[in-house]
Amino acid sequence: MPEIQFTLNGERRTVNIEANDILLDVLRDKLGIKSPKCGCDRGDCGACAVLLNGKSVRSCLIFAIEVNEQEITTLEGISKNELSPLQQAFINNNSFQCGYCAPGIIITATELLNKNPHPTREEVKENLSGNLCRCTGYIPIIEAVLEASKRGKNE
Amino acid sequence: MPVIQGFEYFKPKTLNEALHLLSNNRGQASILAGGTDIVVQFKEDLITSKALIDIKGITELSKIEIKEDKLFIGACVTFTDLIESELIKNKFPIIWEASKTVGSVGIRNRATMVGNICSAVPSADSAPALLVYEALVILKNKDGERLVPISDWFIAPKKTGIQKDEIVVGILIHIPKKKYACCYEKLSRYEGEDLAQAGIGILAFEDHYYRIAFCAVGPIPTRAPKLEQFLNGKKITSPIIEEAKKILLEEITPITDIRSSRKYRIHMVKLMFERGLKKVISRLEGGKDA
Amino acid sequence: MNKLKYVGHPVTRIDSLEKVTGSAQFVDDIDFGPNLLYAEIIESTFAHAIIKNIETSSAERVPDVVKVFTGKDFPYKFGLYMKDRFIFAQDRVRFIGEQVAAVVARNPKAAKIAAKLVKVEYEPLPEVLDQMEALKEDSILIHPDLGDYPHVPWFFPKANTNVAHWRKTRRGNIEKGFEEADVILEDTYTVPRYSHCAIETHVAVGKFDYSGRLTVWASSQSPNVQRNLFSEALSPLGLSHKDIRVITPHVGGGFGGKAGVTMEIMVAAIATKLKGNSVKIRWTREQEFYNTYQRLGVIAKITLGAKKDGTITALDHKLYWDAGAYVEYGANVVNAVGLSATGPYRIANISIDSACVYTNLPPGGPYRGFGYSEFLFGLESHIDRVAKKLGIEPVLFRRINAIKEGDTLAYGAKMNANGLLQAIEKVSKEIKWYEGKIESEDPVKVIGKGFSIFWKAPAMPPNASSSAFLKFNEDASINILVSGMDIGQGYLTVMAQIAAEILSIPPSRIRVERPDTDRNPYEWQTVASHVTWSCGNAVKKAALDAREQIYDLIERTHYLDRDTIYLEDEKVKSRTKPDFELALKDFVINGIQVEDGTFKGGPITGRGTFMPEFTSTDADPETSQGGHPNVHYTVGAAAVILQIDKETGKMKVLKVVEAVDAGKAINPDLVKGQVTGGLMQGLATVLYEDMRFDNKGKMLNPNFTDYKIPTSMDIPDEIVPIIIEVPQPDGPFGARGIGEHTMLPAAPMIANAIEDALGIRIKSMPITAEKVALAILKKGEK
Repeated sequence: MPEIQFTLNGERRTVNIEANDILLDVLRDKLGIKSPKCGCDRGDCGACAVLLNGKSVRSCLIFAIEVNEQEITTLEGISKNELSPLQQAFINNNSFQCGYCAPGIIITATELLNKNPHPTREEVKENLSGNLCRCTGYIPIIEAVLEASKRGKNE
Repeated sequence: MPVIQGFEYFKPKTLNEALHLLSNNRGQASILAGGTDIVVQFKEDLITSKALIDIKGITELSKIEIKEDKLFIGACVTFTDLIESELIKNKFPIIWEASKTVGSVGIRNRATMVGNICSAVPSADSAPALLVYEALVILKNKDGERLVPISDWFIAPKKTGIQKDEIVVGILIHIPKKKYACCYEKLSRYEGEDLAQAGIGILAFEDHYYRIAFCAVGPIPTRAPKLEQFLNGKKITSPIIEEAKKILLEEITPITDIRSSRKYRIHMVKLMFERGLKKVISRLEGGKDA
Repeated sequence: MNKLKYVGHPVTRIDSLEKVTGSAQFVDDIDFGPNLLYAEIIESTFAHAIIKNIETSSAERVPDVVKVFTGKDFPYKFGLYMKDRFIFAQDRVRFIGEQVAAVVARNPKAAKIAAKLVKVEYEPLPEVLDQMEALKEDSILIHPDLGDYPHVPWFFPKANTNVAHWRKTRRGNIEKGFEEADVILEDTYTVPRYSHCAIETHVAVGKFDYSGRLTVWASSQSPNVQRNLFSEALSPLGLSHKDIRVITPHVGGGFGGKAGVTMEIMVAAIATKLKGNSVKIRWTREQEFYNTYQRLGVIAKITLGAKKDGTITALDHKLYWDAGAYVEYGANVVNAVGLSATGPYRIANISIDSACVYTNLPPGGPYRGFGYSEFLFGLESHIDRVAKKLGIEPVLFRRINAIKEGDTLAYGAKMNANGLLQAIEKVSKEIKWYEGKIESEDPVKVIGKGFSIFWKAPAMPPNASSSAFLKFNEDASINILVSGMDIGQGYLTVMAQIAAEILSIPPSRIRVERPDTDRNPYEWQTVASHVTWSCGNAVKKAALDAREQIYDLIERTHYLDRDTIYLEDEKVKSRTKPDFELALKDFVINGIQVEDGTFKGGPITGRGTFMPEFTSTDADPETSQGGHPNVHYTVGAAAVILQIDKETGKMKVLKVVEAVDAGKAINPDLVKGQVTGGLMQGLATVLYEDMRFDNKGKMLNPNFTDYKIPTSMDIPDEIVPIIIEVPQPDGPFGARGIGEHTMLPAAPMIANAIEDALGIRIKSMPITAEKVALAILKKGEK
């Protein structure tokens, strides 16, 4: 069984895997990182989004072995310290309903604000379009990202 | 949880190493770049491989660069890389435009243009753009290199001109010498992420020469030679467009499937052709999009 | 009365922090340790067939496989309103995807590999995929034993047919009604099946410990129904309710799809045969599409008559439902519509037939709206058309006939207090209904407006009930135990607000616990948009109960008349003694010390239950007259401004306005959240979603690649929610439910806007860009 090492939420982690193990399953089942969710298992829904070297990716479409020596951030990593302005904005706007899509959306929006701290409404919509939410109609989520963008850096 | 057949994973640092791995695992290896298509295929048991060769460690394959009079897009260049490249945005606008229609951010951060043409689905968004640029696909095996014109690349749905011992290292595009404008029009079921139900790439030179290519309206993405021949040398007018729409129908063989009916595809391709052509002419004349 | 401090305010959700930090634990996030087993389901590949043989031996030999189960292991029926399902198919399969066997293994890969080795031999039978075919006298029978199925007394299955239930409602004299009419319009409307598409798929884990107690963790809207049905179905094993425990943590969306019992029955059953282990089933997205409930399809034939003055004189509404292979829950959708398919109109002469027809497609069941979206598509389209025929402006036509408090309902009871006319007026104003046509600046595009009104009542057994426990902690924070589910709507927050208001403790100091049937008191289920009303009443009573105990104690210990004391800011205060003040935290657990040094009181715990005591389903089966099946209706109105590209057919919602009568919006922010989300779900059913089956009954698009649910780029430019508040007399603070209702007007108002813009009436859903474009082409060809 190959062993991989990578940085997970700022911490160096080592884990034994099979070459055909999917990153999402390894994070959830072998490393106890439960915020990335499985919604479709084929890249359509975005619930499993994590940051790979700062970029949002579908952890259901990546073999765990591919992240050897790379850096992964999940919502657990973002939540370690105090709430980010983005998380606070999601609370203020009662943005989420069931919350199953929330980790993926927060990951995607975090990447957006890191790259583009003051996006337009259209840019927010475009960037979130790979994260499906069935509950909210997206509007309170978009409002929160725009609110957070007025407050400065999101880590 | 889907079951993926076991395989051995390799992450070569050089192309040579990759080609040797491929040769040693003859016919039993798959190449992994972004993985957004191939991982789904593994999950759905559509492919099995004894070896998986991850080419993301080969730095030269991540390049977007001008080599002499040609643009090189490496096999590991993602759609996000293309969208974020000023070079692409300014000099190869149809590639930029088509890249933006692929998937969503989380997919584009990973999916590559070369992967898109290797998957070779009829709806490949990259294909019309590459077809109108008359791109070349660079293939290497351990004995050498060959270039395949993109127009010869697609053979059948999900089937390309690649040999089992070859790796696509990138795409080459001649920089057009004449002034031109272009656009990619895509039919999808809504504004969000969707596969093309029809796609059309249009490139027009200022001297009234045209290149037109389609995806998702036939078994493979193709150029439209008869249509181009008809248009070439002509200034675009409404009667010309009407005439051209009739010829266009001879170039496509759309089917009815779950995503769209043949009838709607035909209707839309004609419309997208007309709207796209007008847009391109307007762009060529330095105007805004119609 | 004092001004409300918490109720009626846009309080922050009490579960926000869990959700934005990734701490919210869903079933699949719980660790069950190394003894967790995984079950892989073998599914029917035929829509209708006899099972001749199941060969399991090769699967059993796969390493790590623990056991293979088939129908023979569990010859038990189950079902909510009608027992027509088995845990695993017995001798016959009735839809593609139906569970036939299960392989249980120590790891999911082994289970999957072994499942492929289970060989099922079928003898195919002709499949019936269309309800009109299934209704024919010579149709093959999908349930030959239908006559023997146990069911609730308000269902009327017809033995030796495919009709599982037929709800008839008759009032007045329909022939006379049509005679009085100046205009009669008859037409047929078609609505296909839809999928809920919660982003979390169904998942359940069952454990049967060595002492013989069964615990099931489920992603469910219905913990108590689950426990009850597990107990019923597994009664041969002698399991009592007290020995079954259902735990429901966070649920990743429900929309009706996680109501009742579907796949969870399998883990419950399998667990009982594998003592000491936990067994998990997690549905894939594909399975979520084809083996949970789907929204029923319907073909509705409407004949409506009206007089020149705009009075509707008669409605004949016949609805034929494609209810699927099993209707244990779905038949009640059909029943609900059969009682309410008049829509929110006052009509003197009514004939409704709502027929629940078995087909060889996946089971139809509850879906947000419970049949009302489906019949309103036809009815509200038809209302526009009849108005046009009469030459009456369609919104005026609706106003003339809008049902009012005290009007007689189709089944004879009286309509409740409601703000329908207010809703119509406010929506008309906001959408500038009477300010004429909007011209598009783009010549290729046209703009139309569409209007729709709506109503819906909870469809429940007459004695569906709720209950609540409330307990104070040492610091006067509170834990409330209830068994409703927060499926995203914000139920937990609303319950906290209700208790907060009564006890004057901020909602942030109240935790409302998710269900655990061992610990939390009974709730029927979180469906029917009834928990704010029903469980809200129970929580209010529990809070009042606690407050009475506090007052008792103060009376006993401080000799203050209870009529002079009140609660404010976590303290007891007195109107007559301004200097008296006693913090709740000083006595709610440890009591109050009196002069002699002893303590009085003890932990304050409140208890509340609620059951409507005026409902009954006892009615004449031929007319539905005599009972009082529904508790009340929630009403509303909506309108849309729709832009259509005349060439591509692509549509864009420029503005949509929806007013819903919440009675009292306990949390206006959450009501607005329901309007936004519900409208979007409704718009998706009309504009994008389209469930496709091939001619053998196989679903062709069981994935988000081809079943298109909207993304953030597909939302209306502007949504304006309007809250109407005509109090519900028996609701907590006047509240009634609004959750499902928000999606009801979406489809007909789009169809009406299309007609307004293009003069084209589309009578079948969905109304995709393709359908519109082809309709425009067809019109041009004429």
